[in-house]
Amino acid sequence: MSGTRTASSGSRTSPPRRDPRRWIYGGLNLGLAVLYAVAVASIVASRHATDRALLWTLPLWSSLAGAGVLVGGRWGWRLACGGCLGLLAIATWLLLAIAVDAAFLAGVYGALGASAAGFALIAGLLVIELVALVPALELAWLRGRAGRRAFGATRASEAR
Amino acid sequence: MTGRRRLALAAIWLGPSLVFVAITAHVMIGARLVAPPRLAAPARAALLAIARGALDGQPSPAARDPAILAPFDDTVAISLWSRGTRRARALGQGPSIAAATTAAAQALVAQPLVAALVPADRAAARLEIDVVTARAALGSDAPWVATVTVPAVSDELIAALALVPGQDGVGVRFDDGREALLLPGEVVDDNLVKREHAVGFVPDVAVGFDPALAARILTRGQRSPVAAWFRFRTDAFVEGPDHAPLALDRGLPPGPAPTAANLRAGALAGARYLVAHLAPSGRYVYTHDLVTGARSDPATGSYSIPRHAGVTYFLAQTYRLTHEAWLRAPIERAVGHLEQLVDAGGCTGDGPGGAYACVRDASEIKASLGSTALAIVALVEYERATGDPRYRPLALRLGRWVLAMQRADGSFAHYYDVATRTRDEAAMLPYFSGEAALALARLHAVTGDPIYGAAATRALDWLVDWYDFFLGGFFFAEEHWTCIAAEALDPALAKPAYAAFCADYGAFLRGQQLDAAPGDAGDDWAGAYSTAPFLVPSNTPTGSRTEAMISTYELGARTGQADPALARQIRASLAYLVRQQVAPDRDFAAAGLDVLGAVPNSAVDRTVRIDYVQHVGSAMIRAAELGDLVEPTQE
Repeated sequence: MSGTRTASSGSRTSPPRRDPRRWIYGGLNLGLAVLYAVAVASIVASRHATDRALLWTLPLWSSLAGAGVLVGGRWGWRLACGGCLGLLAIATWLLLAIAVDAAFLAGVYGALGASAAGFALIAGLLVIELVALVPALELAWLRGRAGRRAFGATRASEAR
Repeated sequence: MTGRRRLALAAIWLGPSLVFVAITAHVMIGARLVAPPRLAAPARAALLAIARGALDGQPSPAARDPAILAPFDDTVAISLWSRGTRRARALGQGPSIAAATTAAAQALVAQPLVAALVPADRAAARLEIDVVTARAALGSDAPWVATVTVPAVSDELIAALALVPGQDGVGVRFDDGREALLLPGEVVDDNLVKREHAVGFVPDVAVGFDPALAARILTRGQRSPVAAWFRFRTDAFVEGPDHAPLALDRGLPPGPAPTAANLRAGALAGARYLVAHLAPSGRYVYTHDLVTGARSDPATGSYSIPRHAGVTYFLAQTYRLTHEAWLRAPIERAVGHLEQLVDAGGCTGDGPGGAYACVRDASEIKASLGSTALAIVALVEYERATGDPRYRPLALRLGRWVLAMQRADGSFAHYYDVATRTRDEAAMLPYFSGEAALALARLHAVTGDPIYGAAATRALDWLVDWYDFFLGGFFFAEEHWTCIAAEALDPALAKPAYAAFCADYGAFLRGQQLDAAPGDAGDDWAGAYSTAPFLVPSNTPTGSRTEAMISTYELGARTGQADPALARQIRASLAYLVRQQVAPDRDFAAAGLDVLGAVPNSAVDRTVRIDYVQHVGSAMIRAAELGDLVEPTQE
């Protein structure tokens, strides 16, 4: 649909280009969505309703990103970016909560709390690896020229 | 795409994975130990008959069982147990298990110590046979393990976790072809799996295998260099009191069924053990080593007043539920010691509510909340058991002090400086707040004074709400006193949040409860709580958590919501616990006087501390009262 003017951006776009990363990221997003759902339902099932609800947004954001990447087009690109940003926001919140709680436990319980804080540190590293890494790389690709081209979301001036 | 390109792509994508899978399989097969099925009861009886015949100087019966006449190329060990210790042990080899047993028996009776046994000791001795059934390389002797290591991580981890505690023996083969073995039970008795802080970077792995100590023991008196280390598994069985064979798992014969009658008997045996370990001063013999028979000195050894009070509470609880007259005088002696500590500790005075007091041991600089809280629980339990209010005034003085230690938000200061009469607002320890909540709930029950009910409610509110932060949604600390207090509180004051909290705690604990899946971890641990399959479960947490689960079950039952999952959880733990207690068929490896009823720390740590017996005994006596829980007719 070269040369079409989109209502949202008002800029010219070039046709999408084949890029295997769309399928790789789409597969990763959907696979991780399933993993998150299983984990939140069984392994990291919080007793607190608000935390549980926030954790359940992980599979939602990941599904959103995966669907956007696989559907393609400008809306797909926006969905993918939104999903990745949502995942990064949740990852940031998780890291902050873990850091604050680990410091609290270490402060209150001394050596015993330091041990708990050690496990919290491991949990934080797992959050970075399992929640933040893929959307961070994916977002960098999506917002770069190659990502925009893969979705046909490149401005005409960039499509050289 | 050309065939070559396809091949290159397949190699790039699959090759590394295949290499890793192949290496992993090679290492696992080299390190794995596959034990064959165990001998059947008739074969065990035949082997014990051979050994007993040799010991008694009688001709051995002809072996006919095909299982013990089949070709065999390993070792049989025979140990002689007498008065709770392994007096002698001999090894034998032969073309069959029967022949190896005969050789081991002849070597055993040739030992001067065995030959010198008087007939009565010879008859009372219990013979244990260990048939070595499987071997595998030990730790870094396994293929590739020493070749590929992570610096500062692998060595410690591999050394500490090289053995399955209680199931594996360890051996060395010398250059000259001879071997030295330490049987699985000897590994435990020699403290080879009790090396503290064995993995420096994982402080929570409290104990592990001690290869340096094993090397010293196994190479003692040997001149030939060590060629290889190995671990091995044995099919072990021991003569019962009637000389019938008892199969051993981790050194323990099968336990009795956890019926109400057996649980009541177990609790009473525990109480007898504690009474026998109560000194004339009113202090308990704090520890008893079942391997050596050594006891701590109640006057000078290390001691814990919260545990003294907790143990006295258990004795009073058992008295209340069984009315066994022999319990009353020892309880009064143990309570008398608490009174002495109050009189001598200097922690007395007059406050706004009246006279107060706290319990402080002579060795303590500060008085702890736990000592006084559990003293109240013991005093009130005495009154509940006997109807005798003689300790009520003391309990009320202690109660006023506990009230003074409570903050406005329901939490407690845990230490009190007696000299300056000030609370320590910084220190925070596990258990104490739950113990104080229980003390206040019990005082409310016995006095009806609403001040104690309100304070107990505030304490429970604080304990339950403490987890109101993100990580708090995923874990529980030790909350057994909290749930016991929640159940002890007047039902008119109890909030649904308490029952929900304890139900969640129960579900959390079920995630840590080992099931009966056969395998290397061992189905003999089924019902115990452990966070990892290679960490040996301790008996005390299983006991204290079972107490809490019984309270949780009763909380649910009050509202018609008795949880069958909790009932199964409790039954599984009780089945595990009854097997851990020293009983007449399981006392062959328990040294020292008055060991019946003892509960050691674990199957691989044979130290008995008074609170181990208390928590396990309390779980038993409370479960025995719930006959339908431990002996379900249908579910």
